[in-house]
Amino acid sequence: MNSDLVLRASDLTKVYGTFTALDGLSISLERGRILGFIGPNGAGKTTTIKILVGLVKATRGEATICGAVCGKETARIKRFVGYMPDVFGSYDNMRVFEYLDFFGAAFGIPRRDRKRRIDECLDLTGAARMKDLFVESLSHGMKQRVALTRTLLHQPQMLILDEPANGLDPQARVEMRQVLLELARRGTSLIVTSHILPELARICDTVAIITGGKLRAFGTLEQIMQTVRHSRLVEVVLADRAGVAAAAAALARELGNEVPISQSEASAELRFNTDRDDEGLAELLGRLLEAGVRVAQFRELPMDLEDAFLSVTGQSGVKPTDSPASPHAVRDPKLGVVGAGA
Amino acid sequence: MIPILARELTATLRSWRAVALQIGFLVVLGALVILRWPSEARVDIGGVASRQVFRIFGYGLLIGLMLVSPAFPATSIVRERLQGTLALLLNSPIGPVSLVFGKLLGSVGFVLVLVILSFPAAAACFAMGGIGLNEQLGGLYLVLVLLAIEYAAIGLLVSSIVRSTDAALRMTYAVILILAVGAMVPHFILKEIAWASPHVNDFARAIGSLSAIPAVMQAVGDTGVLSGNGSVPEVQRFAVGAVLVTLLCIAITSVRLGSRPMDRARDAGRITDERSARARVIRRIMFLWFFDPQRRSGLIAPWQNPVMVKEQRCRPMGRANWMMRLIGTYFVLSLLLVLGATTLSQSQGVTGVLSVIAVMQVSLIVLLAPSLASGLISAERESKGWQLLQMTPLSPATIVTGKLLSAFVPLALVMVATLPAYIALLALDPAQLRIALSIQITLVIFAIMAVLLSAGVGSLFRQTAAATAVAYAVIAALCIGTLFIWLGRDAPFTSGFVERVLTPNPLATTLSIIGTPGFSEYRLAPGNWYVMAAITVACGVLMLLQVARLGRPR
Repeated sequence: MNSDLVLRASDLTKVYGTFTALDGLSISLERGRILGFIGPNGAGKTTTIKILVGLVKATRGEATICGAVCGKETARIKRFVGYMPDVFGSYDNMRVFEYLDFFGAAFGIPRRDRKRRIDECLDLTGAARMKDLFVESLSHGMKQRVALTRTLLHQPQMLILDEPANGLDPQARVEMRQVLLELARRGTSLIVTSHILPELARICDTVAIITGGKLRAFGTLEQIMQTVRHSRLVEVVLADRAGVAAAAAALARELGNEVPISQSEASAELRFNTDRDDEGLAELLGRLLEAGVRVAQFRELPMDLEDAFLSVTGQSGVKPTDSPASPHAVRDPKLGVVGAGA
Repeated sequence: MIPILARELTATLRSWRAVALQIGFLVVLGALVILRWPSEARVDIGGVASRQVFRIFGYGLLIGLMLVSPAFPATSIVRERLQGTLALLLNSPIGPVSLVFGKLLGSVGFVLVLVILSFPAAAACFAMGGIGLNEQLGGLYLVLVLLAIEYAAIGLLVSSIVRSTDAALRMTYAVILILAVGAMVPHFILKEIAWASPHVNDFARAIGSLSAIPAVMQAVGDTGVLSGNGSVPEVQRFAVGAVLVTLLCIAITSVRLGSRPMDRARDAGRITDERSARARVIRRIMFLWFFDPQRRSGLIAPWQNPVMVKEQRCRPMGRANWMMRLIGTYFVLSLLLVLGATTLSQSQGVTGVLSVIAVMQVSLIVLLAPSLASGLISAERESKGWQLLQMTPLSPATIVTGKLLSAFVPLALVMVATLPAYIALLALDPAQLRIALSIQITLVIFAIMAVLLSAGVGSLFRQTAAATAVAYAVIAALCIGTLFIWLGRDAPFTSGFVERVLTPNPLATTLSIIGTPGFSEYRLAPGNWYVMAAITVACGVLMLLQVARLGRPR
């Protein structure tokens, strides 16, 4: 058993009446690592988070944070965890400093250390200039920074952030990313949920994908890619647009009619999924050239977190259309085009 | 206007609360009439019994409409603002005047339904005879309809000014209490002062006509210290005042909505500590430093309850500068009370003055306690701050204590500010010391109970507006509702029954201690103190349980 594990959750299940919000989730996280927790709306992310912070009681299973059992040792969990919900929780008529002072006092930070701690956290999150502003007058992005500051005040060992980048402008997102990476560098473990997957991919060491209350994939980004990569996505760019139909026909002959091929006449591109190895792909390219297809580029497209997520959640990009007139017509979100196959 | 009117009416009428309110209203009115319905097998030619029934019916209707009329309009515009739909409405072709009229008629429409529901009870009173159709029944309904429109217009105006639904309710009910009761006070005091100018007296009387109470008293054929006796009937005086107030409120609300209410800059967060040395010196002298609203707050001390400090800082009038202003206001009020006590004691006697002061104190507690305490938990849940509080190591007891203390402090200031009036009266008549002490005990227990009752009842609700409205209704039912049974003290209720019903009522207890006519025959203290203490403990336990329940994992 790894002693550096900060979070251990096994078989977490939450049932509301006949509805299973979370079904046997098991995850773990090491110190100083960032876990990206992703899933569509209603997947069970917030339920998991609320079980971890002790706001919701699990129907089955157990989770521990720094050795404290979630839902049972609530006082210890509150000390260990900094939780930033997806709503700000503001108080009217209070300045940012007073707001932070209240939470500092509530967490029992001694008065002599509190001011220094508030200033440190405000500096870290880039919110120092907001110190004297009234909380209700802050913009959404400003509130996110203040919320993160509030979460950091009691120096938690683990941060659980629900959609921290939500509503932030690109510049603020970059800054938020840097703050989170800095916190991880200092040894804080983080669980971050977000719908902005490219953003998450840049900071996460580990990813958990959840849909319908079930954990579909869990591991490092590379491990997830390996798991979900059942086939390789190959792109063929032609030298001229006129040859797209002929190239599609040639590909269909080689791959078989059941393999969907997406094509774009506008950009003279074709894409398809295949499980062939490098040798097989070289052979395929040779056949295309022999068939007179004028290939300008032939390459495998790298998979990113978004592809992995779509693949795991069963919303993979390459899907046949319903049109009976074109049985091989396919839609590719990246290409954004619909065309007819062979 | 029509789309707004249709939306407001359907939104109000189709809710289960509206149905419950209508049924409750009907049941209460029916019960009032039935309780006072003569049971003897004799014909009442003089119509005395009929007038008794009509009197209770009229006052019941008045209090019901005073509570219900402003409730919906007071939250109407502020709710639109909070939900973000006000911007959509202002961006539509509907003008601000149409918007205000639509909302006003929508709110009044609901109240008119209640008025119509009271027709069977009114018909029963009329059928008994002894009541004039035009002068009494017509006069009563004219006053009530005008009152509903006026209070709805006031509610809309307040709703266009404040930022939260509970603040809107608090301020609206405060304005209505001042209009209904406070407006009569200057006339009541000045008419006893021999050297007061007749013009000033006339003006005070005109101000007093803004209250619906004298008009309703006249309509139901009541004569008393507050009923009108001038050449112009009170109903007409009130009608003129109500129409003027309504038009003024509509005009101001329309202007406010038409003058880009969203066009407000964010607060710049100016702080004295960051300003020039000259500005700092001036502000420190001007505000005596400690009371400077732009002074950077100090850190919460270890001996302070953080929740209490937070609540005081959150409350618009909870900060030191506002507390100083409140203390100043109460001090002036206290001086006025001393003046009133010394001048009125010659004509009304010390007992009469004590009664007036006691009624004022009870009114202040009834007004302030729910506004301070009803939203202590619901506001936290509404602002999503509760989840954050749950994540802190603060225990439920610390949270409850801090919140309750934050409500007690301003209420204690009100109580202390009224003490000089008692001292002035005791200087005139030292024999009243025992009575004054008993009154103070009653009022202190009542203040504690009112805070805990409001907090306990309010903790059961998710929305602060609902918590505030219900807390007001419960306290009003305790202090005013039980007096309806007292109205039937001759028949059909026995003296023992009336005494039992009045026992929890702090107003009745205070008046019985003073020996006010009508209450002197009941011995309500110390029974009232025990009942109020029991209610206090029960509400404290309820609040603690509710906080513990909300703090547990779901």
